[in-house]
Amino acid sequence: MRLRRPILVTIATGLLLVAGEGVCAETTIDFNRDVRPILSTHCFHCHGPDAESRAADLRLDLEEHAKSEELGTPAIVAGQPDESELVRRIETADDGERMPPSDAGKQLSAEEIATLREWIAAGGTYSEAWAYLKPVDAGRSPPGGDKWETHWIDTYVHETMRDSGMAPSPDADRITLIRRLSFDLTGLPPTPEEVRAFLADQSPDAYETLVDRLLASPRYGERMAMFWLDLVRYADTVGYHGDQNHHASPYRDWVINAFNNNMRFDDFTVAQLAGDFLPSDEEQNLIASGYNRLLQTNHEGGVQVKEYTAIYAADRVRNLSAVWMASTMGCCQCHDHKYDPLSTKEFYSLAAFFADIDDTHHLTYIVNREFTLRRPEITVLSDEEEAAIARLEKEADRIRQASKAKVLANTVSVESPQKRLAEIDAEVEKIMKSARRIMITKHTTPRVTRVLPRGNWMDDTGEIVEPAVPATFGQLEVEGRRATRLDLAKWLCDDSQGIGGLTARVMVNRFWALAFGKGLAPNLEDFGAQGEPPSHSKLLDALAVEFVESGWDIKHMMRTIVLSRTYRQASNVNGQMLEIDPYNRWLARQARFRLPAEMIRDNALSISGLIVHEIGGASIKPYQPEGHYRHLNFPKRKYHAHSDERQWRRGVYMHWQRQFLHPMLAAFDAPNREQCTAERPRSNTPLASLTLMNDPSFVEAARGLAARVLLIPANSDADRVDAAFELATSRQPEQDERDKLLDCLAECRQDFANHPANAKQLLGVGLAPVNESLETTELAAWTAVSRVLLNLSETNARN
Amino acid sequence: MHGTDSNCKSTAGRTSISARRTFLKQSGVGLGIGALGALLADDSRGATATRLPTDALAGLPHHRPRVKRVIFLCMAGGPSHLETFDFKTELVRRDREPMPTSLTEGQPIAQLQSKELRILAPRARFVPCGQSGQRISDLLPWHRKMADDICVVNSMVTEQINHDPAHTFLNTGTITPNRPSMGAWVTYGLGSETLDLPAFVVLTSQGGRNPQPIASRQWASGNLPSRYQGVQFNAAGAPVHYVQNPPGVSQRAQRRLVDTVGDFDKQLYRRVGDPEIATRLAAYEMAFRMQTAVPELMDLSGEPQHVFDAYQATPGDGSFASNCIMARRLAERGVRFIQLYHRGWDHHDNLDKYMKQCCELTDRPAFALINDLKERGMLDETLVIWGGEFGRTPMSQGSDRSKIGRDHHIKGFSMWLSGGGIQGGTTYGKTDDFGYHATENPVHIRDLHATMLDMLGIDYRRFSVRSQGLDVRLTGVEEPKVLTNEWT
Repeated sequence: MRLRRPILVTIATGLLLVAGEGVCAETTIDFNRDVRPILSTHCFHCHGPDAESRAADLRLDLEEHAKSEELGTPAIVAGQPDESELVRRIETADDGERMPPSDAGKQLSAEEIATLREWIAAGGTYSEAWAYLKPVDAGRSPPGGDKWETHWIDTYVHETMRDSGMAPSPDADRITLIRRLSFDLTGLPPTPEEVRAFLADQSPDAYETLVDRLLASPRYGERMAMFWLDLVRYADTVGYHGDQNHHASPYRDWVINAFNNNMRFDDFTVAQLAGDFLPSDEEQNLIASGYNRLLQTNHEGGVQVKEYTAIYAADRVRNLSAVWMASTMGCCQCHDHKYDPLSTKEFYSLAAFFADIDDTHHLTYIVNREFTLRRPEITVLSDEEEAAIARLEKEADRIRQASKAKVLANTVSVESPQKRLAEIDAEVEKIMKSARRIMITKHTTPRVTRVLPRGNWMDDTGEIVEPAVPATFGQLEVEGRRATRLDLAKWLCDDSQGIGGLTARVMVNRFWALAFGKGLAPNLEDFGAQGEPPSHSKLLDALAVEFVESGWDIKHMMRTIVLSRTYRQASNVNGQMLEIDPYNRWLARQARFRLPAEMIRDNALSISGLIVHEIGGASIKPYQPEGHYRHLNFPKRKYHAHSDERQWRRGVYMHWQRQFLHPMLAAFDAPNREQCTAERPRSNTPLASLTLMNDPSFVEAARGLAARVLLIPANSDADRVDAAFELATSRQPEQDERDKLLDCLAECRQDFANHPANAKQLLGVGLAPVNESLETTELAAWTAVSRVLLNLSETNARN
Repeated sequence: MHGTDSNCKSTAGRTSISARRTFLKQSGVGLGIGALGALLADDSRGATATRLPTDALAGLPHHRPRVKRVIFLCMAGGPSHLETFDFKTELVRRDREPMPTSLTEGQPIAQLQSKELRILAPRARFVPCGQSGQRISDLLPWHRKMADDICVVNSMVTEQINHDPAHTFLNTGTITPNRPSMGAWVTYGLGSETLDLPAFVVLTSQGGRNPQPIASRQWASGNLPSRYQGVQFNAAGAPVHYVQNPPGVSQRAQRRLVDTVGDFDKQLYRRVGDPEIATRLAAYEMAFRMQTAVPELMDLSGEPQHVFDAYQATPGDGSFASNCIMARRLAERGVRFIQLYHRGWDHHDNLDKYMKQCCELTDRPAFALINDLKERGMLDETLVIWGGEFGRTPMSQGSDRSKIGRDHHIKGFSMWLSGGGIQGGTTYGKTDDFGYHATENPVHIRDLHATMLDMLGIDYRRFSVRSQGLDVRLTGVEEPKVLTNEWT
């Protein structure tokens, strides 16, 4: 019931009432929205798609079964709740008869029973699950007439809002807008200069200009990669047991570049799933195909090959179905899905697509080294490395030609050409050896894939399956040959022959979540019966259609979403809003939430001025508490924080140790990437507070901010406070805020003047050089004030 | 049932709305943070229902609990049941003979894959101990003294044969990623008994053969809100990551930081009305309290010498013995779930040498812990569990007789339980004559989980959380056995 819009009834007095429990709401019942979740939660487990656990031969997931007279009194008699066995059984006082049975652990609420009754009274009609229906375009024309609506998105949102008796929030102020856009599109705060420029830009398209500037920034790709890398469970280590490093970072860079170059999403998909089948641009496509190698692997001595072949196959199916289909196929590893029409056989048929991946080294015990070779791999040269090799090869060519022409003495100043050539070879080899590598996908003869009864890898009795897609999603037609990953990838993004529309809907829902903190369909990873239906299904569909029609243009979609007026609303809430729509389902306001882990870091580094922008490269290692890796073994690990400017690069480049994620990332809910994460939780724990207060990266950033404001030409402490505050929050402080910080500054000055050793110690945190021209007590006092600024909720939230 | 405070998007009902309403009323403008109106909301991704860290989930406990807390002594690597609690004369009689293939055929096997399988006699002597006459090996002389305080289960069964997944299975009941560990489940259900320390604490030590890695996922909160994750305490360096002030920052200066940030956040809260800000205020307050409470906890200078003698511990050495003292201190302070790992039990080779080492490091401290709890009247309210992720094969590994070892074994192994009314001096379940298969009263990991929950007052059937469309339970999908009646 929670999805039914509360109906606001305006009574003569003007008092607003929310229709809730017991109040007859005047909406019609929507099967997918109101009924399916109840049936799914309470009934499908025993009366659903899974044949093995089905009781009394009754299926309630299919209309014809539910209404059939074959088994006696039909469970559902259209229009007649009192004749329906289902209603009798859920309402009976007889404990032995009542459904769901008492040992099911979950009981129907009175509200849910009422909904089922009401639905049956209205005919008990089913509709196909929304997630499997192709998106329908209900219109995308520019709004006409309405004052608030400026975009077709707004028309949809406004209509729903009105039905719920709500009105849009006012537009957010310009400072909020530029902060919001900057975080959402680039993951970074705007600089004070950028803020001022935006405030000064009086042109009617100032906002659009800003959006376009941010979308064109190379920081955009880094921001988008954060979200994608969670989905595909990208990490720097193997995950199981010894958690050794594997070669993956060029894949991360490929993703960043793909977003920056605005690669079409269908091409993006094909390259990752099936880059090894593509003829052109071989290196880039092979790097992309690293996707298939990102899963957790185990290299423990005593790994059973058959067992891990099965585990890897299942992992890949889970990831594919979660990322592209928002479907929880994982359940079907052992049994038919309890809630969705997906079978075990279909699970293994999907696994068969991946049976051609050369996994030899994922199943082999190799000498335990910190960096492991997991062939097939390729070497990926940086531009500098490539140039160096080209230079060396040119030189070698010259030597060889010269020696052929026997005019050595004149052209080459080398005493021994042979010796020099050997040196060149050695140098080239050295570069090749130190260059980055990436695990790639190589297709080989497909392994035989069998259905594993109850997921048991030791059981060889299951039938052999060929690659195929789940019937619920349609069919993948290939003429008389085995379907490949390439076919699968194309099918995922083919709007006419495949499930392109569905995939588009899954993705636009996530783009929406990037701009609003949550999806229109609230479960970003599960569109099945157990996931909640979308709050705005027509809008979600329209966005999906737009995505396909735009040529799978991701920047276009981000642009479309943020240009809406819905996006531009203020995020402030009041008691009444919380009362009527606590979860902001009807979008009568924007959202305010804490930044994701990487952005918490990037934000502090930006504010401090320490941040170093450079795209790609091997993963970086910020300071980390001593002993954090002490439980790693095979081999034992020592963490060496980088001591150069890598120390101040963005969070997206941080070394991702699956078993012991950097404590800062973990404290702010970054996932360990053992599996697909479509939505991170946003917790608020004491450990996060400790991190922001005490992690040397943040203490160093505070010192950076302090030095930064001490070095600006300013006349007074107040001016510097204003500058620091603006760097942190993009706005000027109010008088009382300024006073508070000045008081704090005065106290800190006194403290450090009394205890100069403390000042020295505090300034000793971090590797960034301390500006010698700044007085110690002064810098320490300002560092303390800066710590306050870096710890503010306002600084660390996007609103 | 679903509580009102899961992070699951789908379960937030009306209760949480009204809870929030109450919260807003209470917090109003002058949020009583000083008096610790420490309202900690759960993850904001769904609803933020408010719940004090010390509050149990609505409706819990389901029945009267027998124990308040759990201390799990996790012997990581897989200690041999055949050299500790499960004596087999048949192995003595048939030492070095080929293992009957009828037992091993079609069974999962780790490093002995395609190796010759020969029986290895126990490498320790067993005698009946205590009034009960439980047989315990001479490698564990102190365990022999507490034979009448522990219930030995000789019929444990697990499903995973490699360390990492087997640990994951022991802690989460599954190898499906991102599931909560048992400590997270328990604290999620029952809350904490302290506001100053995390409710679920993990301590580790090592010694023995090349120690098995332990991933932080073993104490993760999985799909439960992050605040239920186990917090690892370190013997060396900062006891908890970032719990120490930065260099040069006095306690007073840190307090000023927390207060000033609090002032600003309160003002912001008044302006924008986001309840998450109130949660954040509470988190900062708790962080500051932890900064005081943790050093106090870790400071063993107040413990009398006889305690160190009893545990055979040197303060600050990070040994299992020190961790056992710490476990008692944590229990005293209201920590709900305390998990101690001792890494070093993976005896593929040099079984004699390493068993001796591991036993010497853990035997007496475990005895001391049980006695200490007993003397303080806390054993009745504490469930203590001892065991590893699996046991070891009756077959030997390695050809060099002097360096012989045993491989991983999952079809029958031993654990023990104590406290909370557990009947001491008893043995539950049996393996076959070879110590291979649990044949009498097998106890699966899920049975252990269900029983542990039951003793804490939780009905496993009604304790689930929604994840990826499934109602996930610690005990998994198969029906477990609750063995409380058999063991108490």
